[in-house]
Amino acid sequence: MIVTAIGAGIAVLTGIGAGIGIGIATSKASEAISRQPEASGDINKALLLGCALAEATAIYGFVVAILIILFLK
Amino acid sequence: MDLASELMSKLDNKISFTIPVFGGIPVPESVVTTWGIMAFLMLMTIIFVRNLKMVPTGPQVYVEAIVGGLNHFFEGILGEEGKRYFPYLGTVALYIGFANVIGIVGLTSPTKDINVTGGLALLSILLIEYSGIHAKRVKGWIKSFSEPMAILLPINILEIFIRPISLCMRLFGNVLGSFVVMELLKYVIPAVIPVPFSFYFDIFDGLIQAYVFVFLTSLFMKEKMEA
Repeated sequence: MIVTAIGAGIAVLTGIGAGIGIGIATSKASEAISRQPEASGDINKALLLGCALAEATAIYGFVVAILIILFLK
Repeated sequence: MDLASELMSKLDNKISFTIPVFGGIPVPESVVTTWGIMAFLMLMTIIFVRNLKMVPTGPQVYVEAIVGGLNHFFEGILGEEGKRYFPYLGTVALYIGFANVIGIVGLTSPTKDINVTGGLALLSILLIEYSGIHAKRVKGWIKSFSEPMAILLPINILEIFIRPISLCMRLFGNVLGSFVVMELLKYVIPAVIPVPFSFYFDIFDGLIQAYVFVFLTSLFMKEKMEA
């Protein structure tokens, strides 16, 4: 049981990468908007796409953790 | 251990009833909720489409704003030639949006069931490949797998399988993740504190995921349609 919990915890560590990635993307996007406020629509769209793709890694980690807990009792 | 077993019992998809033909077809809760959403959307459509006027008044203004906003959003990605796909994409956006926020009234979201998101992702990849075939004919579509270089052929073929899996897992994982976090929060602090978190996880995250799903689908379609 303990080993399963540790495994699930390690799987969820993928969230670190997603957090750093989305943080960097958002900082660059706010920089870009402050430079060119008129392009904020396009920047928002690109930011959202990047966030969705970066966030997917965290979600995969989460799904793997859930699968570990459910199927490796 | 009490919390874990309670959480697990909430995670699996319950069977609400069984149709007594062919030895019994089980109907999961997600399908029943989907029927409810379908009936609601249909009813709204019938109510608001009656007595349309050239100069909109009353609720017609809001309906026009929603439909116009959706069409404008898809037109920005797909352009004029993708106009035939707007109704499907708009319907999927509305359905996923409703499915994600329905948890707030106490029903289980259909998107918490991996079979629902898998089906939606399957429909998306079919539409993506169909739009490629329709725009460039079969020959051009097959040829598009060896672009920009012939060496990328295996990766381009793998993409057919990776894209629906990633679409499916993204939606499912997000809804499941917010559900688990909300349940944990309700377990620790049952009152007041979960309300703002519910706004974030149920409404904001749910709508963002609906947006991302149709956004990625239309983006992949655009990629397939381009010469």
